[in-house]
Parts: sequence; C-alpha cells; structure tokens
Amino acid sequence: MSLSREAYRELAAVVGEQYISEDDFILAGNRAQTPEIPFAHPSPDAILLPGSVEEVAEIVKICNKYGIEYIGNVTGCIPTAYCTRENSIILHFKRMNKILEINAEDRYAVIEPGVRHVQLYPEVRKLGLSYTAAAVGPGGSVLVNFCATGGDHHCQYGTSRPTRYLLGVEMVLPNGEILRTGSLQTDSGWFCPESPGPSLRSIVKGYSGNSGKLGIITKCAVALDRCKGPAEFRAEGLSPHHKIYMDSDCSSVYVFNYKSIQDVCDAITKLGEAETCATVQKYFYLPLTLMMTESANEFWEKWPEYKKIFPMPLVVHIATHSAREREYEEKILFDVVEETHGTRIPREIERWWEEHMDYFMIVARLQSVLRLGGSWLPIKTGAESLQHMCDVYDQTQTFIHDYTNAGKIFDAPANYQIIPMEYGHFASSELLFMWDRKDPQSFRYMAEFSQRSKEEDLKNHAYVMAPYGFGKAVQEQGALYSHCTDWLARVKDALDPNYTLDI
Amino acid sequence: MLFPENVNDVRKIILEARETGKGLVPVSSGPPHIHGGSANPDAETVCFSRMDRIIKIDRRSRYCRIEPGVTFGDLIPKLAESGMRLNMPFLPRANKSVAASVLEREGVLVPKYQYDYPDPLLTVEAVFGTGDIMHTGSASGPGPVEENRSDMVLPWGPATIDYYRLFTAAQGTMGFLTWATMKTEVKPSLGSLFFILSDELKPLTELANDICRNRVPDEIIILDRASFTDAFADSAAEEEALSGAPEWIMLCRVCGFDRYPEERVSIYEGYVEDACARFGLTCEKQPSFLPFPAEKAEKMLMDCDRREVYWKERRGVRKELLMLAPPSKTPDIVSAARAEIPGAEIIVQPQVQGRAFRIEIGVYGDGSEGYAKDTDDLFLNAAKKLMPLGAYFDRPYGRLPELVYPEPVSLEVIRKLKGIFDPDHILNPGKLCF
Amino acid sequence: MSDLKKHQYTMESCNHCGQCKWILPARMIGWDFAEICPIHMRYSYDAYSGQGMLNMAREVSEGKLSCSEGMMKLAHACTACGACDINCKNVKDMEVLEVIYELRAECAEQGFVPEPVKRTAENVKQTHNIYGLPHADRFAWLPADYEDDPGADTILFVGCSAYRYPETALAAIRILKAGGVRFRLLGEEEWCCGGSLWRSGLHEEAGELIRRNMEVFRAQGVKTVITACAECFGNFRGIYPRFEETEISFRHITEVADELISQGRLTLKGADAPMKVTYHDPCMLGRLSEKYVPWEGEIRSYGLHVPEKKFNRGEFGVYEPPRRILDAIPGIDRTEMIRYKEETFCCGAPSRETDPELARFTRDERLREAEASGAEAIVSCCPFCRDALSGGPVRYLDLTELIAEHI
Repeated sequence: MSLSREAYRELAAVVGEQYISEDDFILAGNRAQTPEIPFAHPSPDAILLPGSVEEVAEIVKICNKYGIEYIGNVTGCIPTAYCTRENSIILHFKRMNKILEINAEDRYAVIEPGVRHVQLYPEVRKLGLSYTAAAVGPGGSVLVNFCATGGDHHCQYGTSRPTRYLLGVEMVLPNGEILRTGSLQTDSGWFCPESPGPSLRSIVKGYSGNSGKLGIITKCAVALDRCKGPAEFRAEGLSPHHKIYMDSDCSSVYVFNYKSIQDVCDAITKLGEAETCATVQKYFYLPLTLMMTESANEFWEKWPEYKKIFPMPLVVHIATHSAREREYEEKILFDVVEETHGTRIPREIERWWEEHMDYFMIVARLQSVLRLGGSWLPIKTGAESLQHMCDVYDQTQTFIHDYTNAGKIFDAPANYQIIPMEYGHFASSELLFMWDRKDPQSFRYMAEFSQRSKEEDLKNHAYVMAPYGFGKAVQEQGALYSHCTDWLARVKDALDPNYTLDI
Repeated sequence: MLFPENVNDVRKIILEARETGKGLVPVSSGPPHIHGGSANPDAETVCFSRMDRIIKIDRRSRYCRIEPGVTFGDLIPKLAESGMRLNMPFLPRANKSVAASVLEREGVLVPKYQYDYPDPLLTVEAVFGTGDIMHTGSASGPGPVEENRSDMVLPWGPATIDYYRLFTAAQGTMGFLTWATMKTEVKPSLGSLFFILSDELKPLTELANDICRNRVPDEIIILDRASFTDAFADSAAEEEALSGAPEWIMLCRVCGFDRYPEERVSIYEGYVEDACARFGLTCEKQPSFLPFPAEKAEKMLMDCDRREVYWKERRGVRKELLMLAPPSKTPDIVSAARAEIPGAEIIVQPQVQGRAFRIEIGVYGDGSEGYAKDTDDLFLNAAKKLMPLGAYFDRPYGRLPELVYPEPVSLEVIRKLKGIFDPDHILNPGKLCF
Repeated sequence: MSDLKKHQYTMESCNHCGQCKWILPARMIGWDFAEICPIHMRYSYDAYSGQGMLNMAREVSEGKLSCSEGMMKLAHACTACGACDINCKNVKDMEVLEVIYELRAECAEQGFVPEPVKRTAENVKQTHNIYGLPHADRFAWLPADYEDDPGADTILFVGCSAYRYPETALAAIRILKAGGVRFRLLGEEEWCCGGSLWRSGLHEEAGELIRRNMEVFRAQGVKTVITACAECFGNFRGIYPRFEETEISFRHITEVADELISQGRLTLKGADAPMKVTYHDPCMLGRLSEKYVPWEGEIRSYGLHVPEKKFNRGEFGVYEPPRRILDAIPGIDRTEMIRYKEETFCCGAPSRETDPELARFTRDERLREAEASGAEAIVSCCPFCRDALSGGPVRYLDLTELIAEHI
C-alpha cells in the first residue's frame, strides 16, 4: 500500500519534502527482519523525520484524519519499533535529538526522543553524574530507556530501575493535543514525575512502557545520580581491545564464583543489608565468555573451560568516596563471601572486569552475544524480590534441561542473570537463551521453550512479568494479572478511539 | 459511617453506592485532619479503622504489608521487633494511618531510601469505583492473590500502567485501598546525630544537596526555630531555651548497621564534617541552646509523636501549605513564602535522593470558619506568587485545586481516567478536579 | 556477479544496535563529535548507515528489492570510510563494509553506476590515471638531476595524485634518499593502483588493472612497494590480496620514515616556530589498511567459522608511525581530536564527485573538530584528505612534506 496523495501532501507540508520518504530502499532500513525474529515486519508506507513537537502533533492529526497508523522510532533495537500492519508510517526521531538541559545542581536532564546514550552519558559524566540505563549499549535511546523498555542497568544494585528516574514528560496524545505530566503540568519545571493526584505519570509507564501506544513522548526529563567512585576513566588500546582504567583508590572490582543460587542470594542480601558496594550482579556465564573473547571461534575454544570456572559468577564493584570507605566495604565483602561459600575466580577474569567496569563498556560488549548467530531471546525478564527471582531460577532448572539436552537451544542452562536493585530490595532477572539459526526447526524450538517458560510461571504462580498489548490472546493472559490488559484497553479506548497509534 | 472489615466489605459498599449514587468518602486516620479531612455532607464516610491488621512483616525481603487502619503507633514497634524501620515522615501523630501517609505523599526522613516519589509504597490492593478489585505490581498475579508466590513487592505495573500511582495524592477519588505493601529498612545498630546550625537557609540546602547526592545521611531534615521548638520542646522552660537557637536547624543522622557499625559511623561522620567545613557550617552533637540531651531528639526522629498533645496542635489549629521544589529554587521560595505568609513555620525536607525538597508551611489559628477561609485565600494567593519561582503544589488542598487543574489537556485526560475507574463518580465526589 | 550472497550471514545478523553510527564507548567523552557515519549525520534516515545498507542489501540479495538510481546514489554517497565496519566488529563477526562494496557492485551489474565513477573508469582505461591527464606527464615533475637506483628491489609508487601534488612525491624521494633507502621508480610502467574502481563496484575493471600491476611488480622483481599515498597503500593491502597472493611488502612512507628515525638514519630538526597540530588518520592508512586475507569456508552453527576466519577489526592500521614522527619534530605539540585512530572521522573526499554536498558537510565537520582540538594545523598524509581538508579554518599540512622540510 502507499499513502494517498492527499495524505502525503499534507504530511510533506508539515515536515518538508526532504524529511519524508516513500522510497523503497529508504523504507528497507526500517522494516528489516532482525536475527531473533522469524518474520519480516510490514513495510511502512513512509518514514518521516519530524523536527519538533508541533510537527509531531500535526502529523498525528493528519494520521487520524486519514486513518493512518503511526509509530515512533529511534533505534529500531526493539521489535515494538516496527510496523505491525499495513498502512502505517514511522516517525523517526533522528532530528529531534537535542539535550535541552542538564541541570547538575538539581540533578536532571531534559532530552528529546532522538537522544542516545552516547550523547547524554558522557555529558553527565563530565559533571560527575550518571544515570541508570537498560542494557542496549551506547546507541540506545535515552527516552526509550526511561519511558518504554523494561530493561535493567547492570550497575544498578545501589540505584534502581530506569522507571524510577523518569520525571516530567511531554507527550503528543492520539488526538494531537500536547500533554505535560508531573511538575510540568503546572509549569513548575521538569523535576517531579507525579502530577497533582491522580497522577498522570501512571499512564506514561508501568513495569514496561506503553511503547508509544498511548502517546508519542516528545520530551522527557530524567533524574541523574552522583557517579559513585571515579567519574572519569582513562581509556587505552584500539578496538576491539579497548580497556579502561579507573585511576582511583576508591574503586575495586572482584568476581566470585558460587555453587548454589541460594548462596548467591544470601550474599547479595547480606551486602544489601550493610548498604555496601556500588554494583553487585549475578552475571550470566555465556555472555561473559563471549565478552572476554574476540570471535565466535575463540568463544568455542574457551567455552568448555570457562563454563567450569565461572558457572555462577558474582561481579562486585566497590566505588566509594574515600579509600578508607573502600577498605571498610572490602572487609564486609570478604566476610560475606566467606559466610556464603563464594570463591574468588582467576585474576585474569577479574582483570577483564576491572578493565571494562564502566556501564557502557559492559553493555556495548554484551552485544557480542550476537556472534553466535544472532538468535537470542531473553526470557524471565521480570523483577520482584531477590528471593523470588532466585526461586524463579530454581524453577527454570526443572524444565530447561529438556531443551538443552535435546539440542533445541544452546546448552547453557544456568545462563541466568540476577541484577539486584535498591540494595537488594528488588532484583530483576533474565534467562538468556540462544538457538541455532541454521537449524530449520530452531524458531519452533524457541517458541516452544518460551511458551513452556510462561506455562511454568502460571503453574507455579510465579510473578515474572505481566502481559501487555492488545488482542484476544493477550487479554486472556491479562485476566490472570488483575485484568491489566482490559484496563489498558479501556485507557486506550478513551485516549485513542481510532486506534491509529501503534497497536 | 461505614466500617468495612475486609476487601469484600469495601467492594460491597462501592457496588451499593453505584446503585444508590451516594458518594463515599474514605477516612483512615484519627484526628486531627489538618488538610480538612474529606468532610462531605452529601456523602457517606467509609472509615477504615477496623481494617488494622499488619498482614506481614518480612525481614529477609524487607517489607511489610498492612491494612489502611494500621497506624504509625502500631507499626513502628512491630517493625523494630524484626530489626527494621520504616522510612517515615517527621514525627507523625501516633494515630496516623501509615497507608494514608504514603498515599498523601507525605515527606520522608531518609531520602537515600527514596528512589521515586511514591516510595516507600510498593504494591496495593484496592477497589476501583467500578467495584473491581485491583492488585498492583507483582501482586497482580498470576492468578488469585492468595496463590501468588512472589513477595508482591514490585511496584510497577502490572504491564504498562503504574496503577499504584493512580491512587497517590488522589484523596480516594480513584479507588479505596484495602492493603498496602511498604518497603522497610534495616534498623541501624548505631547512629550519630548532628545539629547543623545557620541563620540562613541557603547554606543548609546546599549542604543537604551535597551530602544527599553522596548518600551520606540517614535521617535529614531542616526546621526553622519555631517548628523545632513545637516539635521538641516539652515545657515552657525548654521553649524559652530554644528561643536562643539559630533560625535554621538541620538534623542529620548517620548510621552503622550490623557489620562494623562504629567504622561506618566514623567514616560517614567524617563526610558530614568535611562537607560542613566546605559550606562554612558548624556541626554539633549537643548544641549549647539545647535544653535536653541530644539523644531525646534522636529518639524522636525515629518514632511517631506519642505525646498527649500532638506537636502540630500545640499552638492551635494548624493549616498547611505543602509544596515541592528543586534544591536550587528552595531558598528563594522559602524567603518569598515567609514574606507572603505571616507567622509561617517552615520545614524543609530533602526527598528522593535529595533531588527535591518538600517544603511544609504551617500556620496556626483558632479553627473557626473564618480562619479556615482566610487561610485558604492566603495560601492561594501565596501559591500564585510562589509558582513562578518554581514551587510545585503536588498536594492541592483547600483552594489550591483552582490553581493546579486549569490546564485543559491534562484535565481532560484526568477526567477520562476518572470515567474509567470511577464511572459513576461516587468516590470522594467534589474533590480535586472532579 | 557480485558477491552479495556470500555475506548473507552478516546481512541477517544486524540487530540495529546502532553502533555503526556512533563512536565506541571507551572513546566517548562528550556529545559533540560522537557520531561517526557521515551519511547518517547528513541524511538522518536509518537507510543512510551501515545498518541501513545491510538491510537494503539483504532485500536485494533475496530478490525483494531492486537496485535503483536512488539506491545507487545512496550507496555512493557513503564514503566507504569503514567506521561502521570497525565499530560493528568491536563485538561482532560481521563484514559491514564488504556488504557496502558488494551493494555497489550489484548496482553496477544492474547498470547503476554514477557518472563520476564512469568517468574515472574511462580515464583510467584511457590514460591510466583517475584524472584523465596524459600518461606521459605522470612523472613530468621529476627533476632533471633525479637518479634512480636501477638495482633496487624497492619501488616508490607515487600514484595518480602526483599529478596534483608532485611536491609530496618529491618529499618522499627526499626522505628515502636522506635515509639511504635504495629505491627506484616504475616510470611509464606505473599505472593507477585501481583500488578506487574496485571500491566503486567496478570489480572487473579493477581486477584487470590490479592483475596488470602485479604482473609489472613481478616482472621487475619488486619486493617492497613504498607509497606516500594513503589511498594506494590501503588498496595494496586491502584490495590486491583479493586477486592474488603476494610476498611483496607494501609500506607507507610514514612507516619507512618512522623506522629510519628510530634507527638513527634520519634526524629531524626543530620547527621554525612552535606549533600545535592534530593528526588526521586517513581511513585508508588507518583502519582500512589491514591486510585482507581471503576466506572461503562455512559458517556453522552458532557462528563457528570453518576454517577460522581472520577479521580485520581495525586494530593493526598505521596509527603510531605518523604520531611518532610528529613527536620527533622539536617544537611541534601534537593534540588528538575526539575521533582518532581506528575511530577516525572521514574527510569526505570519497564522495566529492558522487555527492559534493555530503563531501562538504563531512569536511566541515572534520575541520570543526580539528578547530575544537585547539590545533593550528591539521596534519595528514593522504592526497584525497588533502583535497578535502585544505583551505579551511585550520591549516592543512602534508606529513610527508613536513618530514622532508625538517630533514
């Protein structure tokens, strides 16, 4: 399908001819099948590059007029950034990529949707500040991180999930009106997310975001934290062997191995009770091996050895305000590790972490999981209490071997990550599994395993993550979670009666 | 007045109200209702005082689950028995509902434990105006709440809407809460309280901004001399002694936990002292004007007000103007507030990691209708002048809704949400913008 | 036939992480100068990026999309600077630049060749240089008193750029003579290196030329080829091995000069006046100068390459010799731009004819960065970078000439 000429003319009049394209080769860049998805997305009819909130609002009104579905897109890293049906257009925010304000004193930044971590993160680091971000790497959208995705920060043990740090929001509603939430609602600045009650922050993002389904967010403010430990690091080397050095006596990195998930859970709990350490994470062993090797071939060479050395690695970064505090925290750390039966792993592995212990270094390297063919899926991407997420791990062990032993998925049954947050009050989890794209049955296996995982959650009444979206199947699942999908549908009906905004 | 005893009672009350069209007004706490309570002669009052069970206290995952009638007076000792504490407001009255306090977005004393504004609220069970029961966050499922094997502590969602936020500062207009899960913290085994003194507010807010961003303090609060006196003085002699106190007093406590507590306290004391030196402030453990041992203040910081006369009732009937402000704007807002509101007593509390300050302005009067009306007018006029300076009135009581709800786009969305969750407008009618 | 299908694995493996558009995290120090893909910066659409071209090429390869005039323009607006490729390979086993090359070849096969590329190919065919100037004039700049060393097995390959910048060729000669290096020139046997034709998708035409040049090298017993042209150098190392294996050592003049200095065979005198400079890494001397190792094999389950494949990840480009040389000139104070070494930002020259506006945009961006570094001069050693970067707010200096001036 293609846009009617009337619709095209009106849209082009809003953004200008150079910022709208219907060329097939241009559209190819935004409909691509990514390696983990067994189908191609429907092609957009056009891609638009709006330059302001006013332009977005005008586009939305035109879409309503002509019944065109529209979707916001920044990176295309997540499947929700693509069209789900014909007669759709994509609003790409590359041009709306300004950092509007960084307020170091009040610790927030205001950004447009096209701003990526690579832009904001170094700017706030210069000011001794930082923020939590999901594991998408430097190219990830800051706005998506805070408003849409449900991912977790690998260094968030002492901080929290990005959703905690979303402040004022400006959003174009499906009727083209511009909504401002939080303190912005009364022209009181960007610093507070909560509107005078009932808070409109509630519909901006829940556990995960609406992915633009209730409005296109055109600006948001995000809270910044002081960067505990050294704010600057020294980088050396050439790609792919960049290393960083935190030249500070307030920073140290340790990696331990554990034999039982309960011991890991106990260790994290005890460290949290003492409010020590900046980063504590039970990392997954498969990506760790990939991150430490340069190619798939090198991975295959090292994997048999590494999976024995660190099947259950606990990575700890101590970052303090003084050397004395670091020593104090180290003392507690080693006490706890001893009490919980952890063992230190070989120094070269610790050193690798030391040389990469910056959030973006880690998440950028994490992309190396794609070296194994690119077919990967994180499941159990939920969060709850630390103990519950450990229980969920135990539960996965009751069925994952049916799939790993049969070669249906990659043989790494313990490839489970636990990232505690708020000093262990909660933890997020992720079971990352891969399948062999060369095997024609692999997508079936992937679907089978994912389905089994969900069924086990339901059977065991284990909360991992509630379903979201629209449609009969999702609504049936949502009925098991306080009918959340019904309520979402009612909100959608009220705000977007024409369902033109990305379903 | 209706006294439900469980969620089914609440549901029944709401469904009946939908039939009759009679409004319902929730009450959880005992008097006084400083913000005017929710008196509405055309509606029935639903009192939650009989729903006062502490459902669960979990030391390992550090949370408690309570019904709305549970008060600070009940909960604080129970938590202490389990080695825990609640991140709570400054000296709340003992009969104050804990759940109501968090729903009202009352300030908390330990900003480092507050990652988001609704903290320490985690999940809730609530009944919407439709009569539907909602469990939020990880309490939502899968399946019936009784079978949920999680700890039901994750606040967000379920899925893409943060339902728990719908209830905060909503004054019961979206749903009635029947239990709340609250985050609790490890009770420190050792503490050290500093009194940091200044005749100017600005150096203290700057200090607070600095040490909070470094997660140094546990409890931290700035009181003006009058508020400090109201809160801590127990006799005329103590009041007299405190008249010699400086204009502003910051209470800042650092703590140690079970492991090497002395060492932690010593390190953190050093951070406070260093920061004070940088801002030209002196910090003292037992200032000379203090007519009682500092331990008394420290103990009161960690408890509710169990005295016969609640400290906010000592000078008469109190009315409050509440606002939030970013650190950089707080001193100017407070100065302007003092100029606009004669006799204002002011408390400034760093919140959410110190990224915002809650400013509480109290005035006292005789409780007459005239006083109430005059104060509402005074607050409205003051608020109009403070808003351009960056004051944010997120808890609009009295006449403030006139000021904070006129923006048509957000108003329309709020009303659409109200139409979904309380289609018959039976929950606390006439409040806020409804 | 283009080899697009050979890169199916790469085309299928892109997950839109965006790393092809931005510098790597270890180098991130601020918002300004963090982007690394000129066409993405200029045109904004995702299609204008390594990621976009992978997506496009995959559809072409699978018959879902046909080559077109627009696609050709896009593929040739791309400067093929290789930043996307090196960034992607920071963590992945993908060949992004190879796909871009093959997309151009596929376009060419389907008859979509930009006019400037056609003109260059015709020039090379007729006059053996890219400018269409008389072949007889290739060494017209050579001084009358120049003496070749006929017994030398090392040649100085001056490249087509000697037509434009004979002073660079003369400087190279001076350096080699001063260092006592035995060398000679190919004279009328020296033709265009042919690399640019290959990179433009004209694989057949390039192949003929490359095979011919290799035949000349062989016939003349050449063991070492030195060049002062980064473009020729990158082509010798990165393109020639696609046609035949060779033992010939290809060296850039900066590598040779650096070696001569370290051996004490060349000493550089101080600058006339102190000067702060920044060094611009030419793509073809830096990240794209690693020796290409052909690979034929199978990619098995979970990315295992059998036999093992050598990936050029940009680590072994010529980065240090130019810097060491600058540091060896007393009075020169060297500073780095944000995008340097394997993360260098293109000068824009490769698109100067296929997309002049993009070329200008890219050049301006690079000069803005040089200016921001506080340098008075931007130093480099590629004639095409010189074309692009000369005449801007920061003075351009050719490194080969700079060395010669300080002997």
